[in-house]
Amino acid sequence: MIGWLIALTVVTGLGIAGGIGWSKLSKEHREARSLPLNAVDFSKLNDGTYHGAYAGGMYKWRANECQVAVSSGKVTDIQLVASKDPGGKNTQHKELYDRVIQAQTLQVDTISGATLTSKAYLQAVENALVPAQHD
Amino acid sequence: MLLETRLVAQTTHYAMGTVMTHKAFGLYAEDSLAAVSREVARIEGLLSRFLPDSDISRVNGSAGIKSEKVGLETYEVLSKAVEFSRFCPGCFDVTIDPLVTLWHIARESFAQPDAFSIQQVLPLVDYRDLILDPWEITAGLRNVGQAVDLGGIGKGFAGDKILEVFKQFDISSAYSNLGGNVVTLGAKPDGSPWHVGIQHPRQENKIIGSVSVSNQTVVTSGDYQRYFTDCQGKRHHHILSPTTGYPAESGLISVSIVSEKSLAADALSTILFVAGMEKGLELLRNLPQTEAILVDSDLQVYVTQGLRYCFQVVEGVEVTFLG
Repeated sequence: MIGWLIALTVVTGLGIAGGIGWSKLSKEHREARSLPLNAVDFSKLNDGTYHGAYAGGMYKWRANECQVAVSSGKVTDIQLVASKDPGGKNTQHKELYDRVIQAQTLQVDTISGATLTSKAYLQAVENALVPAQHD
Repeated sequence: MLLETRLVAQTTHYAMGTVMTHKAFGLYAEDSLAAVSREVARIEGLLSRFLPDSDISRVNGSAGIKSEKVGLETYEVLSKAVEFSRFCPGCFDVTIDPLVTLWHIARESFAQPDAFSIQQVLPLVDYRDLILDPWEITAGLRNVGQAVDLGGIGKGFAGDKILEVFKQFDISSAYSNLGGNVVTLGAKPDGSPWHVGIQHPRQENKIIGSVSVSNQTVVTSGDYQRYFTDCQGKRHHHILSPTTGYPAESGLISVSIVSEKSLAADALSTILFVAGMEKGLELLRNLPQTEAILVDSDLQVYVTQGLRYCFQVVEGVEVTFLG
């Protein structure tokens, strides 16, 4: 009888653990899919150097951290401070950063003919600039 | 500033095989964006040739057998696509799918398709074989193996529909960027126009200039957006000529159309890209309120007369104003 009870407890425990695991994994996927890049008003930035980090979802796969310099109300420099990319081989973020700098110095709202595919790097840039805004 | 114009919402999501960003100002900005995402998914469900239950997949699946009932909107898009195929035969063809598929397979194996396969597939590309019945609202393809591809027009249609959604939510200032197709509603909340950058066709992190627009759409077709390099190191881009069966080589590497309707701008950017500068500009002359920014293979930028005062060039880029 006790044996059966133990077996039942173990099976129930595994079931619950599996259910929790699955729900967390699907939550991670949902988060990655719907990563919002919300408004930073580039016309309202205070000068200074700001740090921004994106935790990169539950398993930190896309975690990265950046430093954004604002001078005369414009973003003048963005540096990647830390990322999950071990050897720093991926240079995709540099192009994205350049695009952020260029986009706001030319004051464009959006770009026709460009297809942005990497949102995680932009997310950290944006997180850095949120506290830089004034009313 | 009015309270309602200070309420802003922005979202980025993946749909129709690309990344989309929408930004809206207004009391119901947040709700409008949720509705916009739903609308895009709905349109994709009608027009995608990758979704097995879409109207287009059913039409393609019954090619050479029978016509299929389609939704009114699908019928409208197909009619417009035929109209544009007729507008410049040999530049644009709604039945280009067999060629696209052939090049897609080639892309997977990093080799250009052999001339024989292309010659075999070319006769299947003929918009005159798409039979549309306005009474029954059906669409059908005459021959087995033929297929419709709305790649050059579907996102444009979605752009027009998004503007309708924004209006339903009382939004008077918004833009959407559908993987490089930009549509704008009204001007910015402060009354100034939207500044839409034009992607530099050879330098990924640069633009060649920007155009100031309100209530207009800016759609760009370029050889740099989707391409593959074969074993010999030759680059093949994704805009195919329905005449030759190969990626179009008209001397233009990027064409942006600025106009009011996004569907038309989407089709026209492809048409001008394939037609080339001379023929393209001639086609444009017959179309009211349609302007273009063209870039040739020497990276010389040509801008039509109507954009003279709303196109701003980036330092170091050479521009010629036409007309």
